[in-house]
Amino acid sequence: MIDCRSLSARHGSFQLADVSFTVPDGRYGVVIGPAGSGKTTLLETIAGIVPATAGKLWLRGHDATALAPERRDLALVYQHAFLFPHLSVAANIGYGAASGDMAQEVARRFGADALTSRPVRALSGGERQIVALARAFARRPSVLLLDEPFGALDPRRRTVVRREVRALHREWGLTTLQVTHDFTEAGLLGDVAILLDEGRALQSGTPDELFRRPATPYIAEFLGAENVLAGTVRVLEDRAPDWLAGEPSPVARGYRAIEFTSGSLVIYTIGDFPERAGYAVIRAEEIVLSPEPPSGSARNRFRGVVSELATLGALTRVTVDVGGVPLVASLTTRSAKELAFVVGTPVTASFKAMAVHLC
Amino acid sequence: MLAALASSLLLLFLAVPIGKLIGSGGVAGVRQLATDAELRGALGLTALTATAATVLGVLGGTPLAWLLARRSFRGRAVLSAVLDLPLLIPHPVAGIALLLLLGRESAVGGALLAAGLRVVGTPLGIVAAMLFVAAPLFISGAREAFARVDPRYEAVARTLGDQPLQAFLRITLPLSRRGLIASAVVMWARAVSEFGAIVVLTYNPKVASVLSYDRFTSFGLREALPVAAVLAVLALIPLTALRTLRGGEDGVGT
Repeated sequence: MIDCRSLSARHGSFQLADVSFTVPDGRYGVVIGPAGSGKTTLLETIAGIVPATAGKLWLRGHDATALAPERRDLALVYQHAFLFPHLSVAANIGYGAASGDMAQEVARRFGADALTSRPVRALSGGERQIVALARAFARRPSVLLLDEPFGALDPRRRTVVRREVRALHREWGLTTLQVTHDFTEAGLLGDVAILLDEGRALQSGTPDELFRRPATPYIAEFLGAENVLAGTVRVLEDRAPDWLAGEPSPVARGYRAIEFTSGSLVIYTIGDFPERAGYAVIRAEEIVLSPEPPSGSARNRFRGVVSELATLGALTRVTVDVGGVPLVASLTTRSAKELAFVVGTPVTASFKAMAVHLC
Repeated sequence: MLAALASSLLLLFLAVPIGKLIGSGGVAGVRQLATDAELRGALGLTALTATAATVLGVLGGTPLAWLLARRSFRGRAVLSAVLDLPLLIPHPVAGIALLLLLGRESAVGGALLAAGLRVVGTPLGIVAAMLFVAAPLFISGAREAFARVDPRYEAVARTLGDQPLQAFLRITLPLSRRGLIASAVVMWARAVSEFGAIVVLTYNPKVASVLSYDRFTSFGLREALPVAAVLAVLALIPLTALRTLRGGEDGVGT
C-alpha cells in the first residue's frame, strides 16, 4: 500500500503541499496532472529522494517517511530512463537485481535481452525506457514508481510493454504508482487515479469517478470533459419526478431533483447540490444526436443546429448550437456519415438526467 | 576586423615568449639534464612534492567538492569564498600566511616540530605551499565535474539498493572521472609552476621554479635559460594530458 497522509515536500522552489491519497496493496495507481504540477516530485518524495517536510508516508503498512531510499523496497523509473552510461545494458539490468536469473527473466519478458550487446549510448529513447523498466523489475520491489515510462515508445511497442508491465504487476502483486498525461492510459491501467495540480492532490478515486464525477470544473476540463456549463441550481420540490422513473431510487439516497439553468438551456438532473451557482458537466459521449426528437427516456432534449464537425479517426465530434449554447456530442464517424450531418443540419440533442454531473 | 587584430596580437603575445624560450634554450636544457645534477634533483623534487600535494588535495578536496555540488547548507557561499581565497591573494602573501601558521613560532608549527615534523625549509613546506595555492583549483574543477552528473543517476542507484557511498563509488565517481582527473592534472601543473609561496617557506631544497630564479639572480639570463626552457617543455606534459582528456570528454546523457 502507498498511503500518503498530508505529505508535503520542497524541491527547489517547488512545493508539494498536503497531498493525501491511498493506493491499496496490489493496486495500480495513476497520477495525472498538467506539466509542472509536481508529479515527478511526488514520486521522488515517495522514493525518499526528496525528503518530506511534513505529513506521513506509509509503504506496505510501515512508516517510511524518514526511511532512506534503499530501505523502502521500491524501484523508480524516470521518464528519461537514466541508464548508467558507463555500464553495459546487461550490467544496468543487473544493477540491484534480486538475482541474476531474475535479471535475465525480466530482460526476456521486456525484450531487452536483444539489446544487451549494444552500448547504452547507442540505444534509442524507447529502448532505454525498456531497459530502465527491466532494471526496475529485476530488483523485484514491492512498490514500483513509474514516471511516464512509455512516453518514448512507438505505439505498437507501447501496447506490448504496457501489457507486460500490467501482467508483472498482477503476477507479483506489486503496488504501482505511475505518472501519465495520457487519460486513456490512466483509464486502461489505473485502479486509483490521483489528479495533481500545483503540488496539490485535487481529487483521487477510480479513474471512472474522476472522469464522470470531477470535483471542480477545472478538473472536468483538464480531464477532457467537452461540456462544462456555468449556471445556477434550483432544487425542485417534486421528490419523485416522472423523469426519474426506472432510475435506482436516487431520491432515497438523499438526492433531489434539480433544475440547472445555463443561458437559454434548462437542464434537469439529480443530486445533493445546494441552490447556488455551479457547473454542469456532461461528457460528449452521453449526448445522443438525432434528426428527429428521439423516442427514448432522456429527460433533457434540445433542438439545435450542427455548427461544427470534427472527425478524429473513428470518432466525430459534433458541436450543436442550442440557442447560443454550444453542446458537443461524440459519435462514431460511421454514424455521423449515415445521419448525413453537415453544418446547419437541424438536430435534437438529448441526454439523461443521470448523465449530468454538478460541481 | 579590429577584434580579429586584437585577438591575433594577444595570441602572439601569449605564444611567442614561450616559443622563443623553448627555441633558445630547449635543446641546451635537455642536454644539460644529463650533466646538471642540481637541475635533475630540482625537477625530481618538484614532481614528487607536486604529486604529494595533488594526492592530498584530491583526498581532501573530493568530499568537499561533492558537498558543494550536491548539498545546500547554511554557509555554503562562505565556504566557496574561503576556498577561492588562495587563488586571489598574491602567492608570496600566501607563503607569509603559511609561515605564520606553520613556522616554529606558531602553535601548530611548534607542535609539529615537537612531533618531529619540520615544515619550514623542508620538502614538507613545499608540499604545504603547493597544496595551499593549487588545491582550490582541484576543488573548483571537481565541483563542476560532480555538478555535470545529473543527481538522478544517484537517485536511481539509491532506489536500486545502494547506500550513499556505494552510489557515489559505483555511479558518481565513474561518471565524473574525466573531470576529476582533469582537475587533478590542473592542480598538479599549478603546483609544479608555483614559486611565490614556496620561496617564502622553503628556499632550499630548491624546486625547479626556485632553481631557475636562483640561477637568474646569481648568474644571469644565460645560465637561467636552459632551466627555464626545460620547465616550459615539461609543462607540455600536463597540457597534452588535459587535451587528451577533454578530447575524449562527452556529456553524461540520459
